[in-house]
Amino acid sequence: MKHNFLLRLHPMTKFYFSLFILGIVLILPGYAVAFSIFPFLILIALLAGVSKEFLSIVLKALLSVLIIVFIMQMFFYPGENILWEWGFLQIKQEGLNYGLLLTSRILAIGSAFILFFRMTEVRDFVKSLEDKGLPPMGAYVVLSTLQIIPEMRRQANTIMEAQKTRGVETEGSLLVRAKAFIPTLTPLILSSIAGTEERAITLESRAFSAPVKKTSLHQLTKSGADQVLPIVYVIIFVALLIWRFFL
Amino acid sequence: MKRSFKDDFNMMAMLLIPIAVAVNLVGFQLANVLRLPIFLDTIGTILVGVIAGPWVALLAGLITNLINAIFNPVYLPYALTSMAIGVGAGYLSKHGFFKNIPKTIVSGIVITLIAVIVSAPITVLVFGGATGNTSSLITATFLASGQELWTAVFSSSFITEVADKVVSVLIVYFIVKGMSDRYLSKLNYGHLYMKRKNKK
Repeated sequence: MKHNFLLRLHPMTKFYFSLFILGIVLILPGYAVAFSIFPFLILIALLAGVSKEFLSIVLKALLSVLIIVFIMQMFFYPGENILWEWGFLQIKQEGLNYGLLLTSRILAIGSAFILFFRMTEVRDFVKSLEDKGLPPMGAYVVLSTLQIIPEMRRQANTIMEAQKTRGVETEGSLLVRAKAFIPTLTPLILSSIAGTEERAITLESRAFSAPVKKTSLHQLTKSGADQVLPIVYVIIFVALLIWRFFL
Repeated sequence: MKRSFKDDFNMMAMLLIPIAVAVNLVGFQLANVLRLPIFLDTIGTILVGVIAGPWVALLAGLITNLINAIFNPVYLPYALTSMAIGVGAGYLSKHGFFKNIPKTIVSGIVITLIAVIVSAPITVLVFGGATGNTSSLITATFLASGQELWTAVFSSSFITEVADKVVSVLIVYFIVKGMSDRYLSKLNYGHLYMKRKNKK
């Protein structure tokens, strides 16, 4: 049992929170609010006890994109007010502003979703989607995909080692390396595909596609906070919309 | 033979999706390990499109990007591209475009065009023109030489995509050729590629 209050929230409550952040960031003008969302997300991550993984994934996934997006806008966004010039490179005020706006949005939205997946197990999320009406087949496909990926990675390494033993070169010129790709991937795909028949038989023998309501061993419960929080999000969001477009 | 939307989703086709997603991810990883200059991250999607039809491939493309997005949300908007590639490959297969090598290469180019047309607007509107892969460098070069943003993004992504997609479809062609008739017969579009022609 998870003891942390934030981690114990219903997956949908956390998912709506990510959508809420997405909504706020897209309707509010300027980059100040969007940038200030990030420290707020770090605070939530700290409270939930996932700040370490959260920050390392944000750094790995978003930092390079943010830098490149920012540099591109700084130099190439059309504008009049030139701040700095060197040869054909010009930094313009408009580009600087647009770059900040774009990066603040990518940072806020991207990290909101990273935080969501650090705080929610995919299994719980898929279960909550199933409760919302996702067909059991869809849930099965997503979850078995997550299981198959590491298995297939191991198998790919095994096949590559085996092919090296029988003399397939994996080092050297581009052509040599490209040639090693096919003898690794083809057996991998053909052998994994052969396994699907057995899986189909196993599932059918358990009446997987029978048209009845299924029971589940894995149940999710909703607490009081899960009832209240989505309503709070909607109220804040509508208030912001009114403030932005009518006042 | 007329097929409805739902007929495409039989049990075998659905079980193919996890394999396709894993092939997409592992293919990308292998291309990295072998330090190949292309991504090869849509082989699974195209393969499903060819043997199980456009709608199953759409789902495979979507799930690939959703799972990638768990660790890197930058992939999320590009789910549209993966889905379009899957549908494209499915329809090309339906019309017999994966039956021999020249036709396969043509379908590779068609898939490249689909990928570019869908992904370039995402790159421009969501990321302002660059996401930090190899094509960003080419985009920057085009921009510095005075081209418009849209032209620069379209042309740079075409340059990086065309080799990737043509190689991917050729790999798919050889994999489908290596499949047994017994297996192909269980999939919706498999009969197109069976070696012993049945009387249909």
